[in-house]
Amino acid sequence: MNWILGAMVLATLIPMYAACQNQDIWQKMLAFASIATKTSVAIIVISVLQDDWFIGMVGSIILSVGNASLMLLAQVLKRLNQTNPGY
Amino acid sequence: MTEVMTDWDVGVIVLLLPLAAAMVVFQDNPYHALVVRGILGAIAALVYALLGAADVALTEALMGTMLGTALSVVAMRSSLVLRLGVLATEVAAPTPEFTALCEDLRRGIAPHHLRLEVVPYDDCAALHRALVERDIHGVCTRSRAAALHGPVCQYATVLRVSRLYEILRAAIASPTMHLIYGADPEKVVLVDPVADPFNSTADQADQSEGLVPQEPH
Repeated sequence: MNWILGAMVLATLIPMYAACQNQDIWQKMLAFASIATKTSVAIIVISVLQDDWFIGMVGSIILSVGNASLMLLAQVLKRLNQTNPGY
Repeated sequence: MTEVMTDWDVGVIVLLLPLAAAMVVFQDNPYHALVVRGILGAIAALVYALLGAADVALTEALMGTMLGTALSVVAMRSSLVLRLGVLATEVAAPTPEFTALCEDLRRGIAPHHLRLEVVPYDDCAALHRALVERDIHGVCTRSRAAALHGPVCQYATVLRVSRLYEILRAAIASPTMHLIYGADPEKVVLVDPVADPFNSTADQADQSEGLVPQEPH
């Protein structure tokens, strides 16, 4: 099962590289969304590997709450873009 | 750590953390840095959960990433801004010169990651009160002489913040705009040249301490 985790870590490197390269903030938000989802799924995989329900519960909470923080950030950035294009 | 995962596996995942931290450090735009800080928070939560500290991971995700990012972006949005007070008539029917001036201002402050917020006021008295009460950083009105001479509108911008004045002075060389630094907003006299170009207030304003909007020399 460890190879799944290894593949997820390698897959995490792709959006990190994209976030480094791109100057558009929405591309960075996409990378953030991708990484947030990947890491929380990785936490759930770890909980299965370690047979720990507590970590699994935390992983599922982070999976749902991560999207909420993304939405909050996107709302504010959208308003910034409306008043001052280019951010 | 359980026997399922080797030290090598853990080491590779933990290495993501300094990588993400370096990404945050090398961002120059504060908004971009905040998004990358979210990425760092997500990876930190993964590392904490991997090392067995599920409660720390949950706190990092809820407080560090969600609440911290949301509060920081709101604080940044209200602090990294140049609030410029103008008369409502300018906003209702903007002249080409006014639009160009706003573009110039935006371009001038963009390297410092500031944004321009144009705040309309009904009359000069309200505009002056807002400047005195520090509700706005500066005011932009038409120069009095512009109403007397020719069709090209000229604008005078009075700023009460010296650093903003320095930034804009270095960045903008527009012939239709005159920048003035008004250290004491109480002494700034605003006149409405469009409404009444020949009134006595304007003559009185010329005699104050050089803080009235004047023509460039």
